[in-house]
Amino acid sequence: MDAFIQDLIAYWPQILAGLKNTVVLMVIMSVTGLMGGVGVFYLTLSSHKAVRRWMDGFISFFIGTPLIVHLFLMYYGLPELGIRLSAFTVAVIGFTLNVSAYNARYLATAYNGLDKTELEAARSQGFTRRETFRLIIMPQVMRMSVPSLTNQAIQNLKDTSVAFLIQYHDFFAQMQEVASTNFQFFKAYVTAGAVYLALISIIVLAARRLEKRIALPGLAT
Amino acid sequence: MALIEVKDLAKAFDGKTVLKGINLELSEGQSKVVMGTSGCGKSTLLRCLNLLLPPTSGRIIFKGEDITRPGVDIRKVRADIGFVFQHFALYRHLTVEENVTLGLRKLKKMKATEAVQKASHELERVGMIEHRGKYPAQLSGGQKQRAAIVRALAMDPAVLFLDEPTSALDPEMSREVVTVINKLFLENVTMLCVTHDPFLAKYISDSIIFLDEGVVVAEDIAERLFYNHADPRIKHFFMSVIDHR
Repeated sequence: MDAFIQDLIAYWPQILAGLKNTVVLMVIMSVTGLMGGVGVFYLTLSSHKAVRRWMDGFISFFIGTPLIVHLFLMYYGLPELGIRLSAFTVAVIGFTLNVSAYNARYLATAYNGLDKTELEAARSQGFTRRETFRLIIMPQVMRMSVPSLTNQAIQNLKDTSVAFLIQYHDFFAQMQEVASTNFQFFKAYVTAGAVYLALISIIVLAARRLEKRIALPGLAT
Repeated sequence: MALIEVKDLAKAFDGKTVLKGINLELSEGQSKVVMGTSGCGKSTLLRCLNLLLPPTSGRIIFKGEDITRPGVDIRKVRADIGFVFQHFALYRHLTVEENVTLGLRKLKKMKATEAVQKASHELERVGMIEHRGKYPAQLSGGQKQRAAIVRALAMDPAVLFLDEPTSALDPEMSREVVTVINKLFLENVTMLCVTHDPFLAKYISDSIIFLDEGVVVAEDIAERLFYNHADPRIKHFFMSVIDHR
């Protein structure tokens, strides 16, 4: 049997654990990033100018700076101030902030395509800002954002490999270890790529089904 | 006592005064139409009356209460004023029935079955019952406006405001909507309607208020305003809109 396959079998428990860590991190950051994104988006619609400015600043900062800087800052920088966080905690916080900023931007872009007379109608009916957000804005904005949010979920999965650089034992870290034992880097990276592609295909298929399910009759999707 | 009494209402945007001391009254069961050239402040007036726009000065007495004073429950006031928009403003993600029941369930706290019953009754009233399960994008312009009227009426408002309800419609669909509003007029629904359409104005009003440059110039019945009015502004306006039709 090929030495690489033998090593894969030998390392199978670690690879599986790494794969599990990757999926867990991806799912957590997708959920927290979506929740954070909705929260930031809500605040960008605030009637207070200062709040809107802060949120614009938040979005610009996290979109405008590399993710690795945030992770390194928290993992390697904070201990200098006496704050030590685990790789997992840093990954969850760092990714959540980053993904929230992107998701908020996607939702804000979809919001621009919303017919604003509907919001005026909601106000004229007596709905509060919060009710209008929950009942009128979000159901439409979420529908319109499915393609962008799917892209972000795919990006989240790919970005988990960056967590390897802060000692998080994700799938890529395990594959790296296999490669460094037998020096068959090409095969290891091709295998890693194939696994990522398979996971991403699952996300894409799920998103397509979701898009079909929530499409509104009479409206182009 | 008038249902709505407006006293010296003024509204300015960035220093530009659009409404310059409007006085008007609307009694229960009465229907009035506001007409005037584009930019004279008609739509601004409607939006000030249900506080979608805060008036700069003046008073609005609604059901005996000054709703321009601080601390007034704006939600309660708005829930008591039905508003129909020029471009329908139906919630795109909801069916016709859901558009009607949303306010009933969330604002009037009706049970879902009760809200559906009420919606069915109101949809029946304007011949929209067979479209209850359709989304706004599946409706014609006339059907959309009828659905929007039902959404407003279902809340049992004290008054119905209509902002150019036929302007976005072709003549056939416009007629369909005029028929519905005329029916409401004959049922003595209290209405205040802004329009350019003399046909609509004639068939749904007890009197017409003519607005020019933010001031009420005249208030009279259609027959006396439409033809050869002594005021040249009014004469010119109606000559152009009636010829245009």
